[in-house]
Amino acid sequence: MATISGPASGGTEFSEGIDAGFSGDGQELPPGIGPWSLAWRRLRRNKVALFFGGVFLLVVVLCLLGPVYSHDIAHIGPDTENITGTIKVGGKTEDIVSLIGIPIGPTWTSHYLLGADLEGRDVAVRLLYGGRNSLEIGVVATLITMLFGTLAGLLAGYFRGITDGIISRILDVIWAYPAVLLGITLGTVLAIRGIGPLHGTTLMVPAIVIGFVYIPYVARPIRAQVLTLREREFIDAARQQGLGNFQIMWSEMLPNLASTIIVFVPLILANAILLEAALTFLGAGVQPPNASWGTMITEGIDNIPAAFHNVLVPGIMLVITVLSVNIFGDGLRDALDPRAKVRIGR
Amino acid sequence: MGTPPQSLDPGLDYTTQGEEVNWLVYTGLTTYAHANGTAGAQLIPGLATTLPVISDGGKTYTVTLRKGLVFSNGKPVTASDFAYTVERSIKIPWGGSGSFITPIIAGATAYSNGKAKSISGITTDDATGKIVIHLTAPYGPFDNVLAFPALGIIPTGTPLKAEPTSPPPGVGPYEVTNIVPNQSFSAVQNPKWASMDIPGIPAGHVNVDVKISANVSSNALAVLNNSADFFDWADTIPGSLLSQIQSQAASRFKLVDLGGSTYYVFLNTTEKPFSNQLAREAVVAGLNQDAMSRLGSGTLVPACFFLPPDVTGHPSGPCPYGTPGTGDLAKAKALVKQSGMAGQPVTVWSETRSPRQQWMTYYTSYLNSIGFKATQKVLADATYFTTIGESKSLHPQTGFADWNQDFPNPVDFYGVLLDGKAILPTDNENFGQTNDPYINAQVQKLGATPTTQLSSVASQWQALDEYVAKKAYVAVFGYQKFPEFASDRINYSGLVFQPIYGWDFTSFALK
Repeated sequence: MATISGPASGGTEFSEGIDAGFSGDGQELPPGIGPWSLAWRRLRRNKVALFFGGVFLLVVVLCLLGPVYSHDIAHIGPDTENITGTIKVGGKTEDIVSLIGIPIGPTWTSHYLLGADLEGRDVAVRLLYGGRNSLEIGVVATLITMLFGTLAGLLAGYFRGITDGIISRILDVIWAYPAVLLGITLGTVLAIRGIGPLHGTTLMVPAIVIGFVYIPYVARPIRAQVLTLREREFIDAARQQGLGNFQIMWSEMLPNLASTIIVFVPLILANAILLEAALTFLGAGVQPPNASWGTMITEGIDNIPAAFHNVLVPGIMLVITVLSVNIFGDGLRDALDPRAKVRIGR
Repeated sequence: MGTPPQSLDPGLDYTTQGEEVNWLVYTGLTTYAHANGTAGAQLIPGLATTLPVISDGGKTYTVTLRKGLVFSNGKPVTASDFAYTVERSIKIPWGGSGSFITPIIAGATAYSNGKAKSISGITTDDATGKIVIHLTAPYGPFDNVLAFPALGIIPTGTPLKAEPTSPPPGVGPYEVTNIVPNQSFSAVQNPKWASMDIPGIPAGHVNVDVKISANVSSNALAVLNNSADFFDWADTIPGSLLSQIQSQAASRFKLVDLGGSTYYVFLNTTEKPFSNQLAREAVVAGLNQDAMSRLGSGTLVPACFFLPPDVTGHPSGPCPYGTPGTGDLAKAKALVKQSGMAGQPVTVWSETRSPRQQWMTYYTSYLNSIGFKATQKVLADATYFTTIGESKSLHPQTGFADWNQDFPNPVDFYGVLLDGKAILPTDNENFGQTNDPYINAQVQKLGATPTTQLSSVASQWQALDEYVAKKAYVAVFGYQKFPEFASDRINYSGLVFQPIYGWDFTSFALK
């Protein structure tokens, strides 16, 4: 495998990360091209990944515009209930929720565009706010996973010995429980008591729970990579130059782990969004009345026979988002390291 | 069944789902008539030869066991088994023991505290089958207490801990087998029952396999499509299926008002903001019961009084804060402002199952709309009441509560749910921590009246119920109508829908 040696101080070697000098399609590369430019060049050629990256971006933008839609178009808040209210559809006045509890379907107008839920709330507004919350939880959970997973993997792999033993056994314990089961247990307990100053009903609680359960999925591959890296010559050179352990980890190891970390981000994000929906569906995630795609599916499940849209709409959004993140993540992985085999899940 | 019983061991269970089965497995010294409507609330002798003989000014109850009684495992029943049954229900403890046994039976408190090896207030004679129970003070509905499945006789020597997967043998038309916790169990006919020939308690016709599934929609569809035979009466049929069921299964479906259930939100009188009466009045004044009825598939009858219509003492006068309906939001907002509690954080506790969670989601939103800062906490159904019943550590502010009568006497509602003496550190049912001296005194006084003589104190119960509505100690939002829904295979006209225990399995028969 070809390698590019970086500057003498803080050198970056992409032997485990971006595969420079090899375009991925057998073509020789022009001299002087940087690894990141090379990765971008590969990604640009992957039209499917770029398309789905665009789809994900579109979902994010739409969700961020939720308050604008709510305030200026739908004129109703995400949690505003209107169970006994009425609406004019095609000149005819209809109950938003019927006397026996059946919500109105899509009106295809600015009010209740995608219909109402059982509480008389606007599904379209909740879909966008729910997306914000689902994405927020996914992003925070991913940050937690990446931060602590990288830290744990780095410390365990670099120091080895007793540090590795302790960290690896802790990771084994977390790993031993299926993610959903561990999430349900932690989510249920923390929803009642909260975490320190965090109230049990805040979005941060499921985010922390999800972030926690995925730590081993990142820490283990990072640890394995660090174990290899620490034996390389450039690390020896850094030691010879008098750099301390933490300086070596920061300036030598981390840059070499960058591509792996970047590849993990979309994969963890997609899994975190899915796990949020699963935990919420099982009552251990986002607490109502907060909207999330998971809560919307849960709340709509009993009304499937008469109000299928309550489940279908958030379900479609969930599929589109997770699919787009996953496909973009695959493209990113191919771009950064076409030979890597990073997978989440067991 | 949408929600699992707390346990199928009668020494622990205190849920409608458990008692629905256990009253047919663990017959008490007294029991209820196997009949529809108010006739089903009629107390009849169970394992005792007659209803108790009451003496000593209402403080002594004497009964004699029937001859030839045997448990479902064939072991003969003795009078001393009754004393053991009571002791076990205190030791486990059964959820109702703090209200109906420990403070009521003489010597039960000492036994509960470990200061006595047996309950001094119970004397038994195995030779004659005579059982004498002494009470600490007259307690009118004690003959109803003897009908609780928790006091249905079990053999002496049964472990003094709950046995959820292998409950003890009992004496009744059915026995429970094949228990898979939270998933399924079977009620099979007790082969020993027919030979005992106890008047008024029929043997079962069929064995009943019970499956537990939280998805009430699919449960209802299964009955509609005849792949299951009964929809559990304590579950609510989703509105999305109601019209379909009404049109396709009109001959085997109806909504029945059992007349003995109250649905309400508790308001913790010891915690801000509901320690303030104006804040409580605000909640009651603006509550949109029409909205809550729609969330409950239209099966909720709007109401304001704590005692339901078929219970003695239910007031007939107007509601103190306006006719139940859409609620007066403006008045509620003004009251919150006046109370000085605007902006106070409130946690609303809720079960998961539909429509209870939806009710509390609406209620949370409503509290926010009148000026509080409310959030909702949703707990799994199986742990909800025990969790919010941890009154010492949790201090729940407000949330969902309901009560289906244990027996047709207002003291069953007041003595458990609003009496200050009923506040317990665990398994507390007085979620609002209501401790009003007037209520306590009235419950003590009126509770001494036997169920059969309730009409003599009806007006006093009525006054007490009006007082509670005026003080807004609870926010009642309706009385529920329950579904009586069976498959085509079942002889629907012969079914008994009992006012206390719901489905009577002994009436189940194929066409």
